[in-house]
Amino acid sequence: MLGTLLSLQWKQSRRSPAYQKSLVVKIILGFFIVYFALIFIALGFFSHKLLTEIYPDQSPVVSFNSFLLFYFLIDLVSRFMLQDLPVLAIQPFLHLPLKRNKLVHFVLLRSIPSVFNLLMLLVFVPFMLRAVMPVHGTGIALVWLAALLLLTFINNFILIYFKRQLTSNPKLTLILALVVGGLILLDYLQLLSLRQASVTAFGALLQQPWLLFVPVLGLVGTYLLNYRFLMRHLYPEEIFIKKVATVEGNDMAFLNRFGDTGKLIALELKLIWRHKRPKSMVMISAFLLFYGLIFYTNKVYLEGWGMLIFVGIFVTGSPMFNYGQFVPAWQSAHYDALLTRPITTYQYVKAKYLMFVPSILLVTVLTLPYALFGSKVLLINLASCLFNIGVNSIVVLYFAALNKDRLDLSNGSAFNWQGVGASRFVMMLPMVLGPIAIFLPFSFMDIPQWGIFAIALSGVLGIVFHRQLLSMMAKRLQDRKYTLAAGFRQH
Amino acid sequence: MNMIEVRDLVKSYSSATVVNIPALYIAPGETIGLVGNNGAGKTTLFRMLLDLVRPTDGVVTSKGIPVAHTDAWKYYTGSHLDEGFLIDYLTPEEYFKFIGDLHGLSTGDIQERLLPFNDLFNGEVLKQRKYIRDFSKGNQKKVGIAAAALSHPELLILDEPFANLDPSSQIRLKNLMRSLHEQHGMTMLISSHDLNHVTEVCKRIVILEKGQIVQDMQTTENTLQALEAYFTV
Repeated sequence: MLGTLLSLQWKQSRRSPAYQKSLVVKIILGFFIVYFALIFIALGFFSHKLLTEIYPDQSPVVSFNSFLLFYFLIDLVSRFMLQDLPVLAIQPFLHLPLKRNKLVHFVLLRSIPSVFNLLMLLVFVPFMLRAVMPVHGTGIALVWLAALLLLTFINNFILIYFKRQLTSNPKLTLILALVVGGLILLDYLQLLSLRQASVTAFGALLQQPWLLFVPVLGLVGTYLLNYRFLMRHLYPEEIFIKKVATVEGNDMAFLNRFGDTGKLIALELKLIWRHKRPKSMVMISAFLLFYGLIFYTNKVYLEGWGMLIFVGIFVTGSPMFNYGQFVPAWQSAHYDALLTRPITTYQYVKAKYLMFVPSILLVTVLTLPYALFGSKVLLINLASCLFNIGVNSIVVLYFAALNKDRLDLSNGSAFNWQGVGASRFVMMLPMVLGPIAIFLPFSFMDIPQWGIFAIALSGVLGIVFHRQLLSMMAKRLQDRKYTLAAGFRQH
Repeated sequence: MNMIEVRDLVKSYSSATVVNIPALYIAPGETIGLVGNNGAGKTTLFRMLLDLVRPTDGVVTSKGIPVAHTDAWKYYTGSHLDEGFLIDYLTPEEYFKFIGDLHGLSTGDIQERLLPFNDLFNGEVLKQRKYIRDFSKGNQKKVGIAAAALSHPELLILDEPFANLDPSSQIRLKNLMRSLHEQHGMTMLISSHDLNHVTEVCKRIVILEKGQIVQDMQTTENTLQALEAYFTV
C-alpha cells in the first residue's frame, strides 16, 4: 500500500508543471544545481583547513562543533521562511479504504527526503571523512554524523508541527529570527556563549557515543507529537490551512488621475499586494538593495568599472527585473478578461511602463547612500537608473511577449521555478551586457567617464522616444496575444 | 447590419477540426441558445467570437468589422465564459467598479444597474468583504454574469450561465435575462446543457455537433421535445 502511495507521489512530482520545462531551462537549472552542490562539497572538504587557519589553537572538529547549535537554530528559522508543509494531497485518499495511521505515517515519512534535510550532508559527509574520522575513528564519526542527521530531522518535524499550528504567521517567524539573532549577538558580546554549549554538547557525544540516544529520543518525541496531532485532526479543513483572506487595500484614488491606465496600475498593485508570490518578490527586491555592499566593499571591484556598471544596473533595476520577468503572466488567470474588455494593448503596456519607472526611481533614491563609496559609484548608479528607465524597461516588455506559461501566484517566489521559461535567462543578457557594450569602446580609448555618459545618454534617448518604443512593444504583444492567451488557459 | 456574422469559420488543432461553420448570422435583438454535447465546440466558437482564439480559417465580424481588427466591439459586448474572465483577487464590488470605470459608469450607475441582480445575489455576493477567489463556484458565476451585463451591452455572450447555480438562482437568472432582453433589446448568445431553460430564454436554438451546426431553428412549443428527442441516444 505504501508503495502505491509512493508511486503516486512520484507521479505527482514528475508530472507537476515545475518539471515540464524546456531543455534549455533544464540545462541551466542543472548547471546551477551542480555548481552549488560542488560549492557545498568543497566547503565540506576544505573547512577543516579553513577552521585551523581561523582558530589555530583548537582542533577543527571543536571549531566545527561550536557552530553546530547556531547552524541548527538558523536552519529552523530558514525552514519557517522557506519550507512548505508536506502537501501530499491526502484529501483524495481520505474516503478510500485506507488505514488512517498509514496515511499519517506516510505524510510524515515523505517529508524526510527533501532538499532541506539532505542538502547539508554535502558538507557534513566530506568534513566527517576529512576531519572527524582521522581523529575519532570511523565508528564515532558515524555516530557524530547520525546525531547531525537526527537533529536535522527533529528540526523538520518541529517545523511541521508548529507551522501547522501557527498557520505560518510571518510575525512569529520574525520573532523567532530575532531570538536567534539575539542569541548570536549575546554570543558575540560573550555574555552567553552558545558556542561553548555547542562544543560541550557535541564534544560529549564524541567522547560518549551512547549519548546518541538523546537526539533519537528527540526525534521519536517530535515524530509522535506530529503523529498524535494528525491522527486527531485528519480533516482536510484542519490540516490544510485555507483561510479566507480579509480584504486589504483601498481604491488608490490618486491613480484615477491617469485615467484607464491608472486603473490598470491600481489593479496590478492590488495583484501584488494580495498574492503571496509577487509579494515575496517585492521583499526579495528589497534585500537585493544590499547587493551592492558585496562589491563596493571590495577594493578590486571599486577600482574597475565593468563590475560597478553591472551592479548599478542590477541594483537600480532589481524590482523591475524581478517583477517584469513574469509580465504579463502575473495576469494569466484573468488574461481573457483583459482581452475582452475595452482596454487597448498600448494602455496595458503603458501601465507596466508607469509601474517600472517609479520603482526604478525609488530604488535609485534608496541606493543614494552608496555614494559614500565614492562619486564614481553615484555616477554609475545614476547612469544605470536612466538606462534602466529608457532601455531596459523596453527590453523587459519585449521579452514579456514570450512569457506564455501560466503562473501560479499562491506560492512564495523563493526557489519557485514554476512558470520559469528560458526567456528569463536570455533576457538578462542584453540588459546587463548592453550597457557594458556601450561602455567598452570608451574604456579602450581610456575615457571611461564618457562611457558612463554614453550609457546615460542611451537611457535618455529611450525616455525621449518611449511612446514610439511602447507602441512597438504593444504591437508585438498584440501579435502574440492568441499564443499567450492559449498558454495561460492551460492549467 | 448583423450583430455577428460568421463566415467559413474553421478551427483545427493539428489534424482535428473542432469548429467548422460555413455561415452563422445573428441579427440585433436575437436571443440564441447554443446547445451541444461536451466537445461540440461551443466554447471554442465563443472564444473565436471574442477574438481570444485565432481561427484557422474564416472570419468573425461584429457589426460588419472583423473582431480581430478592432477593439470597437469590446465597448458593446459583455461576456462571461469561465473563471478566466474574473479578476479573482478583487472583491465583487472592486471588480464591478473596475469594469464600470472602463465603460465610464459612475458608482451610482453601477449600484443602480446591480439592483436587478439583488434577487440573484441572494445577499451572498455584495458586502461580504471577501475576494472573488474565496467565493463558491455558483457565486463566482453570478459575479461574472453581473459584470458581463453591467454595461448594458448590446451583445451578451454567456457560456453555461445556469451551471453551478441552485434551482432558485437558475429561475431568477432566467427571469433576469428575459427582462434584460425586453428592457434593453440585448442580443444574447448563451450556451447551455439545460434544454428546458435555454428554450425558455431563447427564441432561436442552434445545435452544434462535432464543430458543425446541425440544426438552426426558431423556438416553438415543440422545440423542447424536439431537442430531447435529438439528444436521446
